[in-house]
Amino acid sequence: MNKLIYIFFFSCLCALATAQTPLTRFYPTANYGNIQFGAACHTAGGWLWLGAGNNVFRFDGINFAPVKGPEEAGNSPVSAIFEHDGLLWVGYQNGIIATVKPAGSTIPVPSGDMETDLDNAPALDLWSPEEGLPAAAVTGFCSDGRGGLWFSTYGEGLYVWKQNRLFNFNRQDDGLSSDDVYAIASTPDGRIWAATDAGISVCSMPSFGVKSVGKIGIPEGLTDELIISVTTDKSGNVWAGADEKGVFRFNTAANSVDFSVPDWKYGPVTDLVVFGDQSVWCGTERNGLIYLDMKTGIHNPVPVSRELAGNRIRLLDKDREGLLWGVTGRGQLFSANVAYGKITTPFAGIQAICTDKSGKMWVGCREGLFMENGSGFRQVLPRSENIVSVWESPQNGTIWVGTLGNGVFLISPAGKIMHRLKEGAELPNGSVLSISGNGNIVWLATLGGVSTVNAETLKLVSGPDPEALGSYYVYKVFTDSKGRVWFGTDGKGLVVCENNNFLSFTEACGTPIKTIYSVTEDKNGNIWFSTDRSGLFCYNGTTFRRYTTADRLHSSGITALATDCKGKIVIGYADGFDLLDPEKGHVNFCNEDVGIPAAEVNLNAAWTDRFGNVWLGCQNGILRCACLDELFSDDPQPVISGVSVFFQPVDFQKTNIFSHDQNFFQFHFTGLWHTNPESVRYRYRLDGIDPDWKVTRDNFASYPKLPPGNYTLRIQASEHGNFEYAPEVSWNFTVTPPFWQRWWFIAGVILMVSALAGVYVRSREARLSREASLKREMVESQFAALKSQINPHFLFNSFNTLIGAIEENPRKAVEYVEHLADFYRNMLLYRERNLIRLDEEMTLVKSYSYLLEMRYESGFRLSVELPEQTGLIMPLSLQMLVENAIKHNIVSASHPLFVEIYTLNGCIVVRNNLQRKANPEPGTHFGLQSLSKRYQLLSGKPVLTEEISGYFTVKIPLL
Amino acid sequence: MKVLSVILVVFIPVVMLSQNAVYKCETGRITLTSTAALEVIETKCSKLRGVLDPSNQSFAWSVEVRYFEGFNSPLQQEHFNENYLESTVYPKASFTGRIIEQVNFQQQGPQTVRAKGKLNIHGVEQERILKCQLENKGGKLFVRCTFTVPVAEHNIAIPRIVHQKIAEEIQVYVEAALTM
Repeated sequence: MNKLIYIFFFSCLCALATAQTPLTRFYPTANYGNIQFGAACHTAGGWLWLGAGNNVFRFDGINFAPVKGPEEAGNSPVSAIFEHDGLLWVGYQNGIIATVKPAGSTIPVPSGDMETDLDNAPALDLWSPEEGLPAAAVTGFCSDGRGGLWFSTYGEGLYVWKQNRLFNFNRQDDGLSSDDVYAIASTPDGRIWAATDAGISVCSMPSFGVKSVGKIGIPEGLTDELIISVTTDKSGNVWAGADEKGVFRFNTAANSVDFSVPDWKYGPVTDLVVFGDQSVWCGTERNGLIYLDMKTGIHNPVPVSRELAGNRIRLLDKDREGLLWGVTGRGQLFSANVAYGKITTPFAGIQAICTDKSGKMWVGCREGLFMENGSGFRQVLPRSENIVSVWESPQNGTIWVGTLGNGVFLISPAGKIMHRLKEGAELPNGSVLSISGNGNIVWLATLGGVSTVNAETLKLVSGPDPEALGSYYVYKVFTDSKGRVWFGTDGKGLVVCENNNFLSFTEACGTPIKTIYSVTEDKNGNIWFSTDRSGLFCYNGTTFRRYTTADRLHSSGITALATDCKGKIVIGYADGFDLLDPEKGHVNFCNEDVGIPAAEVNLNAAWTDRFGNVWLGCQNGILRCACLDELFSDDPQPVISGVSVFFQPVDFQKTNIFSHDQNFFQFHFTGLWHTNPESVRYRYRLDGIDPDWKVTRDNFASYPKLPPGNYTLRIQASEHGNFEYAPEVSWNFTVTPPFWQRWWFIAGVILMVSALAGVYVRSREARLSREASLKREMVESQFAALKSQINPHFLFNSFNTLIGAIEENPRKAVEYVEHLADFYRNMLLYRERNLIRLDEEMTLVKSYSYLLEMRYESGFRLSVELPEQTGLIMPLSLQMLVENAIKHNIVSASHPLFVEIYTLNGCIVVRNNLQRKANPEPGTHFGLQSLSKRYQLLSGKPVLTEEISGYFTVKIPLL
Repeated sequence: MKVLSVILVVFIPVVMLSQNAVYKCETGRITLTSTAALEVIETKCSKLRGVLDPSNQSFAWSVEVRYFEGFNSPLQQEHFNENYLESTVYPKASFTGRIIEQVNFQQQGPQTVRAKGKLNIHGVEQERILKCQLENKGGKLFVRCTFTVPVAEHNIAIPRIVHQKIAEEIQVYVEAALTM
């Protein structure tokens, strides 16, 4: 039954398959010593990893950054590469396995010079599980989606690494078809499919340590059990490439082979890549690349280039952008943009194109009409007819063909001319530029307005209101999904016919729009139309939006519009086409740079088929923009490839805290966009210092002398320069402030300062209170001193002495009074001061002692022995001590009182012989106490008094 | 009857001969080491028996659990036999299987081989690949092998309270000399 369906498809959809000639791009490795690649793998980050010799290379589209193989690899080449669990796993021909972190900041930015790069390259780490490594070539890796890493060997069967334990599946013990496994693949259900000489072995580990092994062979529908390649598709089915009988699809749900190619003639299939539910690309041993259409079963070799034709394809892979990658038998790397295919035509200047329900392609040009049904182009209308429009009637499949001047031909699906509408009575104007229809009505856009024809009777229906369209040139007629008919006119702008009411738009967004060339509708029902020189407009039913070169349109010379299956607007120009994403506003220009040769799109030569493929009629052939039913990325993938601090690379994935003097940063980044690596532009911003984004084509940024703070480096990459919705990568890091700017240090300093201030305040308070009490003491002592000096007793004694002197010796009396006056004057002079010089005090004491000697005559003696009279002393202190001695002791000629003043160890000593009065004068003991207190307050030094062996001694510190 | 005996007489030596074409070992040494936070326990046994058939690279090794000795205390040995390995219920531990790579047993000098087989401890069988050093010295095959055994994998329950004293993974070191 299936086969029947394929035969049916084969017969009716042939034409679709012929259009596959993607332009391949080869990546020369002359700078790298013409290395030959042997293994390849795309990692999640967007890098392509390649094995060459025993090294691996990380490829960003331009440069190859090497990572050296481990010593244990010896001369053995890399045979398989895979990304699993954040590590890149590299298998070797000799059975060893090594790993590296694929994002690895430790991989230096390549300089382009192989030897330098290899010298600086890090090395892979040898993987050494306890179980040991295989002794047979590692042929492939895959992960089961349940934490298990599987790898196949040529000689020892399969291994699975699960929960740090290695298990082996082989023929003898586990029932594997063969120990020689060519390739493995996994399905989302966790099963592993191993290609062997004896069919496909299906292995799984349902629970830890439990093995399950099955086999797919002839009973399941494989007609060739020698399977050498295997892969899985997005539906979870398994595709196998055989040694002889081509390609098989094993339906995992039905558990049987449901697709095979009976007439395979290209030999062994070395590798397979599946795109959605549409196409399979097969690498072969001898016949290059083979394209296989899944829906039709059609296969044909792709003469992509001389290097590939008839050559061996070692391996194939596809990336996140939808590019097909491969390595040839000679180790050359190539990529092909399979989203675009070119059909070369035996005629030129294609002006109209359409594919019908049965898949036949109708192509109109100056040289007539051609039909393609899988076996080449067949001329339907002769060279004399200049075909400018082709349209398939949805009613009955009739092909309507508009010519320049010769009216309209109606062609049967088989290619027979059924009818012709000639210029004249049947048709007012015979130059039909565009045809579209709605039910029974067919609208013909001519160089003399619009004609309406009944599709059944083929009679001219009463033409549209001449007021509405008149006899203007009409370039395009377009029927939208709501049944409205849109007309692109020359002079009358855009005209829409809704329920037989005509509405004309001659102005949009403030711009006059007179000439409209093309009209299309996007998947949201918005109408897009192009003007002769005012760019592109989008009309959503109420408002217009204008797109010009300022919105990154390639040019204002738009020749054709179409909508593809993903809702993008295809905008044709005379030198390529744009793909406009209405949602993101991204515009990608497509020409040779992305693998599309010579796309010179002719006026309105665009067609969207019912699969969503867009066909563009060009000057030298037809371009097909395939509608891939798999989701691929439209944007470059930004990645940070390295961070240097003072030109020293740092492992930025581990380290993101830097000290204040490690603040010269260089960031290397890249936008992985293999479709057109040179076109990538970057926008970066360092949050924390940059107020705005910086747009650049350079792939690095430098920040010397970053002040301490928290930063986020944000990088966006774009192919077209519109960074809105562009993917972003970011990295957070911190430059720490120096210790003197840290909070703890500042807090500590504040604490210390406040503590010091506290201590100061306290000591000041203490000093003040001490000073206050000193002052009080002083006032009290002055008071006491004055009191004692003005003591009537003292005056009385003095006057008595004076009387005696006056009588005996008037001259001496005068001297006595002089001394008394001196004494009082000095006392009054010094009493206010805290300290006076010792010599000043001694003058005072001498005056005082003169008075005493006069009074007591031989009863009192003062001896002074001061070698130098320097230093400071409290005023009246010595005087007070002498006075005290007089006061407390007997002073008489028979018992003379001797007072000595001398220095000892920095102190002034006042000593008198002790001869206490029998009934001493009542004293307050104020003098000595006050003196002692004052010294304590002023200097902290004590005044010492002692009574030893009949002497009374007072020691006053000399300050 | 006579025919039978003749057959026996003729064929038994042949069978015995073919039996003789294997390497054997009676006194292999096996060391178990448990390195836990609080205690290191090492126990040895010199009664590992093994047989290796070079014709198909298959082997069988076996040891009686109760022969392990050298514990830190007699109580430990008692626990080992009674609580953990239950040597009365599961008297033997064994490893049987086949060597993965093709080995030239006549080759002199050391070579690394990987033995794939079923490791049976405490009555629980686990498939393991053990990396071994093999050396032929004058016709004698010396085998050395180090591997780890997670006790939980063999259903050996260690109470939480002794986790500080008994490691969850036991290091095993095997040393044996096989002769033809």
